[in-house]
Amino acid sequence: MTWECACGVSNRDSKVKCSACGTPKGMVWTPEGFVRAEEAAAIPHDLVTVPFEFTGKVGEYFKIWIVNVSLTILTLGIYSAWAKVRKKRYFYGNTLLQNAPFEYLADPIKILKGRLIVVGVFVVYTLTTNFLPATEPLFGLLFFGIFPWVVVRALTFKTRNSSYRNIRFDFTASYGEAAGVFILKAIFVGVTFGLAYPFFAHSRSKFAMDHSSYGKTRFVFLAPVNSFYFIYFVAGLVGLGGVVALQVFLPLFSFFLPPTPAQQGPGLAPMIIALLAFGLVVLLVISYVKTETINVVWSNTSLGKNRFKSTLRFSQMLWLYLSNAVAILLSLGLLIPWASIRMARYRLDNLQLLPADDLDAFIAAEQEKVGAAGEEILDFFDFDMGI
Amino acid sequence: MMEVTASFYDGKTSQRKEVRLHFDPSGRLRIIGLENYPTYALSDIRISSRVGNTPRSIYLPGGAKCETLDNDTIDRMLGLQRSGRWQAFLHKLESRLGYVLLILIVTVIGIWGLVEYGIPALAKRVAYALPTSTDAALGREGLRVLDQVLLSPSDMEENRQRQLSVVFDNMTQGLPDDYNFRLEFRKSDRVGPNAFALPSGIIVVTDDLVLLAKHQNELKAILAHEIGHIIHRHALRSLLQNSVVALAIASVTGDITSITALSATLPTMLVQAKYSRGFEMEADQFALQYLRTHDIPRKHFADILSRLEKESGYNSETHNYLASHPATSERMKMFKGEE
Repeated sequence: MTWECACGVSNRDSKVKCSACGTPKGMVWTPEGFVRAEEAAAIPHDLVTVPFEFTGKVGEYFKIWIVNVSLTILTLGIYSAWAKVRKKRYFYGNTLLQNAPFEYLADPIKILKGRLIVVGVFVVYTLTTNFLPATEPLFGLLFFGIFPWVVVRALTFKTRNSSYRNIRFDFTASYGEAAGVFILKAIFVGVTFGLAYPFFAHSRSKFAMDHSSYGKTRFVFLAPVNSFYFIYFVAGLVGLGGVVALQVFLPLFSFFLPPTPAQQGPGLAPMIIALLAFGLVVLLVISYVKTETINVVWSNTSLGKNRFKSTLRFSQMLWLYLSNAVAILLSLGLLIPWASIRMARYRLDNLQLLPADDLDAFIAAEQEKVGAAGEEILDFFDFDMGI
Repeated sequence: MMEVTASFYDGKTSQRKEVRLHFDPSGRLRIIGLENYPTYALSDIRISSRVGNTPRSIYLPGGAKCETLDNDTIDRMLGLQRSGRWQAFLHKLESRLGYVLLILIVTVIGIWGLVEYGIPALAKRVAYALPTSTDAALGREGLRVLDQVLLSPSDMEENRQRQLSVVFDNMTQGLPDDYNFRLEFRKSDRVGPNAFALPSGIIVVTDDLVLLAKHQNELKAILAHEIGHIIHRHALRSLLQNSVVALAIASVTGDITSITALSATLPTMLVQAKYSRGFEMEADQFALQYLRTHDIPRKHFADILSRLEKESGYNSETHNYLASHPATSERMKMFKGEE
């Protein structure tokens, strides 16, 4: 027997709370907090879902992308800042909510400066650690220390350069608040040999959401920690199952391969197959964690009285990752635009706004401009904020 | 006279108003649908550049903004005003397949030129400009790591070692003395017969290689090849070249999702293999030059190469002497040449 939570996840009857979002059985979330489902029906607020739409087209973006890549190469990388802005403007401009587009407003010159700083730091780092390997831990320590600052600057740059209906998003957090997550809690993860990682992932998403706002209206992150533990628990089971399956099936599989001469040891073919199979298990685990994190984060975030709902499916995301990777490899990269567009479309097609407020009534806030170095550093290291 | 429909946002709240924007020939914009139909000089407003068919923003003084989907009318209006030409050019590039193909061809030629000539020439200049002391640490550290993971002390008799060191010292006489040439003997079952050059002048030969050689001159040829690597600063150059290639590929593929970005390692590996073949050719040239000036028949090099190739059939566990080298048959042809 199962019961279905308002977030769409079905739970075994023995569960008192939803395994995905933590909502107690028989309750729903309303702007007034958790209430019984019957009472919620009586609360007069407009629960019409407003879907996000993505209108980007592969053919159109392909040309923009080719020009971006080409001019980036021909200008030895200088154009990459303009390329990034045009790409982001294309994706933001094609993301619609209630028929109004989002807008990306970053200044390419600022991004270029940020990138030059990153490249400069990277060159200094590579040369120094190559010639003086003893300095490696020093750099590590330094980077650990400035990382919270980098995260704050990156999120600030990203949000302040995003707008919707001429109201900018915003992010305000101090170094201390970021250090609490990215230094203290990160150390805690190490001390507990990774057992606290879901706790850290939760704090990271909470930090990103709780300090963000749209105009003067704040985002509030409501997901309980155990929803993250649930994700990582299932991911662990998936990974374990995958490894066990590999142990069982790989030896069976090797019967079908031509035997290799004994003195050469294990041949190349079984090794490649084993590597590919292992890569598949890693991909399985990563896509599960990514998909469910996005779902939990967005389905448990409020903006004023409004809520969001994210309904990504793990199997779909896995298929997208896999087919994108294969298509990009086989097309020598030419299908990258196609892959980017279909990923964006799937993600936005599965995101909805549950409005409770008047969407015309958001108020703009005063804000200052920030540099792009932080965002460029995070981009460079491909750091995932879990949102 | 041109008109477009647009959404107006005052920048203070998220409220939307449907309006008409009326551009008159005298260069003024009038907003129809707002109180008092306000007008603005075109020189006071800023219009976002066109990206595909995404909505266009018209930023008004004071923070208000209009959004319209009528890109073509805006473009025509801007054309009459003769403004925003660079951005219009970008959109033109991005919207015609012909231009896209053209720029693709130019880019492919550009990449080829950079990989083939640009990056190697740049790395060469930088490497030669740096004093040899820069890579001394690189060499010392390299040998330390190799000793930890791959190599063990040599089993060769002291006498044989000393004798080879004398041969080596004679070979390096007359070369620029800012390199600290030094011959090191090591044993390694995993590497097999092999020799390699570390930056700053350290050359390592394995016991198996010395055993494999049937003539002193064969070892001399191999050593000359390794000295060539050092004289031409190959370690530093490959470090520089590979970093540039990795950075370049990362900057171009930066917009792929992280999981698929793995596929970017393939071109990096291909380019790096190509560069290392180039270095081997250069070292071969150096060895050839050495053999010629010392009246050593080239066939000695060809002999040991062919024996190495046979040997490598048994020892394929790790990278061997021939892995990153040009096809042996090609090299043997070069060294047999004028016998």
